[in-house]
Amino acid sequence: MRDDRLSQRILIDRTLKGLLVGVALIVALVLMSIIWFVASRGIGAINWTFLTSLQGSPGASNVGIVNAILGTVMVAGLTTLVVIPFGIWCGIAMAEYPHHPLIRWAMMGIDALQSIPSILFGILAYLWIVVPMGHFSSLSGSVALAFIMLPMVVRSVEESVKQVPLTLREASLALGVSPTRTIMKVVIPCGLNGIVTGALLGLGRIVGETAPLLFTAFGSPFLVASVLEPVQTMPLLIYNYATSPYPDWQQMGWGASFILLVFCFILGLTTRFLVRK
Amino acid sequence: MTTTFDVSQLRVRIGKESIIKGISMSFFPHTVTSIMGPSGCGKTTFIRCMNRLHELVPNIQVDGTISLFNQDIFSVNPMLIRRQVGMVFQRPNPFPTMSIFDNVVAGYRLNGLPLSKAEALRIVELSLHKAGLWQEVKDVLHRKGAFLSGGQQQRLCIARALAMDPSVLLLDEPTSALDPNSTAHIEDLIAELKESVSIIMVTHNIGQASRVSDYTAFFLGGELIEYGTTQKLFTVPDDPRTEEYLSRKFGS
Repeated sequence: MRDDRLSQRILIDRTLKGLLVGVALIVALVLMSIIWFVASRGIGAINWTFLTSLQGSPGASNVGIVNAILGTVMVAGLTTLVVIPFGIWCGIAMAEYPHHPLIRWAMMGIDALQSIPSILFGILAYLWIVVPMGHFSSLSGSVALAFIMLPMVVRSVEESVKQVPLTLREASLALGVSPTRTIMKVVIPCGLNGIVTGALLGLGRIVGETAPLLFTAFGSPFLVASVLEPVQTMPLLIYNYATSPYPDWQQMGWGASFILLVFCFILGLTTRFLVRK
Repeated sequence: MTTTFDVSQLRVRIGKESIIKGISMSFFPHTVTSIMGPSGCGKTTFIRCMNRLHELVPNIQVDGTISLFNQDIFSVNPMLIRRQVGMVFQRPNPFPTMSIFDNVVAGYRLNGLPLSKAEALRIVELSLHKAGLWQEVKDVLHRKGAFLSGGQQQRLCIARALAMDPSVLLLDEPTSALDPNSTAHIEDLIAELKESVSIIMVTHNIGQASRVSDYTAFFLGGELIEYGTTQKLFTVPDDPRTEEYLSRKFGS
């Protein structure tokens, strides 16, 4: 009787293990095929001209995606500049004072933000900024993306600050250090890896975001110096080129996809590296 | 006789639970006082009230008075009390992002107190000497402390507390996470340190209390059962419960 059960358990154990390996293989296979798909089609489009020239009409030579690369840097940069300090501050406040009534409301708000589809942020930014200003702008794109990035940064900062052992806070407080200085000088340095990780995760999320940019940043074939003008971004360019009927545009769309993929990969690897450290 | 801490009618409740039920006792300079008792007797809560670290606990309510050198500790900023009263915890907790050197002067650095290079070096050397760690770490002062053994880390924490030149040092079961060798080392250290600082130590190790302390208090269920010189308490205790505890009937 006992032996029967034991062999049954071993069988279940093996089956589950096999299932786990199978699922992991499927995930890896899907990932590999995406990379292969994008790389094999996109890598041919990439050269120096592609990376340094402006967009052009179909069939034109000496065209590239530099306006989209710089536009993405601009939109994502502005978003990051606003979200990182605010998000870090918010995350620390949530970790340190979870019982404060205001913080509880903020937590609910952050959770709600996380569950809202990204296109709605695009519509909001359109109504709040594009309509009053009368034209599309990278600023409105950044606002839409900020709503997407904020909850990711807040949550991961909160988690990493919570993981800083209480004993270190106590050590600092017991030396007569004020609670504020304890947070600034002990808690934040100890949780720094997690805080940076949160920022990178958030950044990785927004650089690939398309929907909210469709009616905020809108796209532009030019280099743009002002945040008040419409601007091209990588996802928008990919969307436009991929849906176009011109083979050379489609090819460039693959090239842009590959660059975006590589960028997100580097972000992801940096994040992992920091987490391990 | 002069005193360091005077505790009067201290009652502590966390939520609805009464942790300390009216304790009054005084502590004396240049002595080691042990507070011993079984788990849950309130000894850690008691010692944490003395530098107001109990205030980190939500829903805690404290009645009664504690004064340090005749000053009510609840009437001043807790930061000022904590600079006079050092604390060493159950588990060694050096700051992992700081070097050994910076750990020792962490009290100055974190508080933003000005400290010249020469002064910092003097304090580091003196404090590590006092903590019996100088010989072992003098060549690796600028490395992070994570590679030190548990016992060395705990002595580093003692050095960190001593660097602030406190008048009282609170030790909360300082050897409970250490091996016997490190424990012996720290017990020797405690006996030496009382020349320069008064020590109040929580322990549930009866042997430790008898070895290192001049005075011993026995806590049980949030009450002070007996308090006196270690010699008297361990040889002719007044209260039968003390005697029972010493013969390990309550367990530890």
